[in-house]
Amino acid sequence: MPDAVALLRKMMLIRAFEEALARRPDHGFQLLSTGEEAVSVGLCAALESDDQLLSGGRSIGAALARGVDPGRLMAELLGRTEGTNRGKGGRGHVADPGVGFFGAHAVVGGNLSIAAGVALSRQVLGAPGIVAVMFGDGAFGAGVLHETLNIAAIWRLPLLFVCNNNQLSVSTPRSAVLAPKVLSDLARAYGMPARTVDGMSLEAVADAAADAARGVRAGEGPAFLELESLRFASHSTSARETRDRDVLAKMRTRCPIQRFQGALMARGEIDEGVVAGLRREIDLAVADAIAFAEASPFPAPGEALTDVW
Amino acid sequence: MSGEPSLSPLRLFFREAIARSVGEEMRRDPRVIVMGQDVGAFGGSYREFSGLFGEFGGARVRDTPVAEAAMVGLGVGAAAAGLRPLVSITYMDFMMLGLDPLVNYGAKLRYKTGGRMTAPVVIKTTAGAKGQGVAHSQCIEAWLMSVPGLKVVAPSTVADAYGLMKAALREEGPVVYVDHKRLFPSAGEAPRDEILTPIGQACIRRAGSDLTIATHGYMTGVVLEAVDVLAGEGLSCEVVDLRTLSPLDVTTLSASVGRTRRLLTVEEGQVTCGVGAEVAARMRESFGAVPMARLGALAAPVSFNPVLEAACIPDAGRVCSAARALCG
Repeated sequence: MPDAVALLRKMMLIRAFEEALARRPDHGFQLLSTGEEAVSVGLCAALESDDQLLSGGRSIGAALARGVDPGRLMAELLGRTEGTNRGKGGRGHVADPGVGFFGAHAVVGGNLSIAAGVALSRQVLGAPGIVAVMFGDGAFGAGVLHETLNIAAIWRLPLLFVCNNNQLSVSTPRSAVLAPKVLSDLARAYGMPARTVDGMSLEAVADAAADAARGVRAGEGPAFLELESLRFASHSTSARETRDRDVLAKMRTRCPIQRFQGALMARGEIDEGVVAGLRREIDLAVADAIAFAEASPFPAPGEALTDVW
Repeated sequence: MSGEPSLSPLRLFFREAIARSVGEEMRRDPRVIVMGQDVGAFGGSYREFSGLFGEFGGARVRDTPVAEAAMVGLGVGAAAAGLRPLVSITYMDFMMLGLDPLVNYGAKLRYKTGGRMTAPVVIKTTAGAKGQGVAHSQCIEAWLMSVPGLKVVAPSTVADAYGLMKAALREEGPVVYVDHKRLFPSAGEAPRDEILTPIGQACIRRAGSDLTIATHGYMTGVVLEAVDVLAGEGLSCEVVDLRTLSPLDVTTLSASVGRTRRLLTVEEGQVTCGVGAEVAARMRESFGAVPMARLGALAAPVSFNPVLEAACIPDAGRVCSAARALCG
């Protein structure tokens, strides 16, 4: 596992970045990953430079965990031309393949077959690296998940399926709309290794991801991880929160950042001074990202017609 | 080479022209692969991929499960990551299952990444009525014409079946290549040398002065049959084979309608929001209220029943009637 302090720092960066973004009056419409930081960071700890990651629309944590520059990401989220996508994609479509973030795609389940295509390209061209695709439990209701599990299995694609099971599709609990009790059981039926892991534990996620990635990297075909997480905020910055306040308060006591930080402190690997230093450093990094984004202009209206054909 | 007698053109079946084109592109470019149902050893439902599996093997000519949504998604994803896939959707009706990845990802990728990524995929699909019923007969190419970033081509001749496929496989963005069940058994001439039919260029199949008839795909032959009859009656029709439906070749259309001052559009698909509706609207914007009419399928499903199928879609007789009415 990479340096524990670096992983803690990444989770703290995601939290601080999203909080700063959500405070802005001009952030538009965002899907935050507060509470789910261990999922992205633990997964990305298992990815190497030749690998590619695809995410769904809840993309900010995934992009930062994979190493997308915070300034370019912030610029993209705020619609500025120095953004990863020239400000034309936004949160649902952030893409930076140069750093291994092939991109977000904001159609639930829509990124699965695309990720399989990216994996197929590697297989046919003999290119190194594996592909990981993150999606929510909501995608389990979509037929394309099953189509893609099947094709990935029969073609032995170098593809790691990562279900971030945050238990909710907007307001609908998964128990109301998905029949399987354990989502990873479905993947096992297609003959691939599949596990369900505590997504609130960075170390559990990182270990499981490293284990799964190893098999995919060795040419054993696809693997599947279900990471059980908790979404601390409502579906989006404009969606109503439907859960009780005390339920949310209790949920927040399971914060993955606090948990990992506590574990590192208990083991004597860090102390309060290290945490305070990280906090200062991250506040600066977020301020820099915002300054970078603010210095970048919006696209000219004429760009509505560029790069269409 | 100059000075040498030119070789006679090749005579090929439509399906052979497709296989030749794809094979040449696969030899030229290792990034070209074929995916679809029964495209492997079987050689395609219409034998339009015959010989490719034997030459290139199962890694580049891949039989897929019956999973159109995932097949198109794999195609656009693989294209975005460096391959040049051809995804075969046996019946155009089933493209409906794959529209999400094609429209929401493939067609928008260049735009949404500010030009940094593209999805050079070809979706080859077969339209048209030939006794197979309401869910295997449709021509829905007009639906696709309203998608920015998505090119749509529809060959009507053996030469264009070859040349448009080559051009499509070299495009930087997604192309839907629409052929037709009734075209596969047809034979025609294709040049021995490599040619590419440029995307975005219509072709005047017959010059005329009284009426422009804009059409595409299998209906081009139906229209030419009608035009022969009309010529005997002293009516001179110009036939514009659109070849590319998106982006439309407004220049060629405008030049023709500018000469004839009358327009008839003929398609096998629906008239409502159809190809002809778009062509007519463009010409109305250029020329004002010149006489225009649209001919297409009745506003009804296309039955397997031969009587009802024939009743539903245009034929040469109906083209003649519509042309006479416009010029009368």
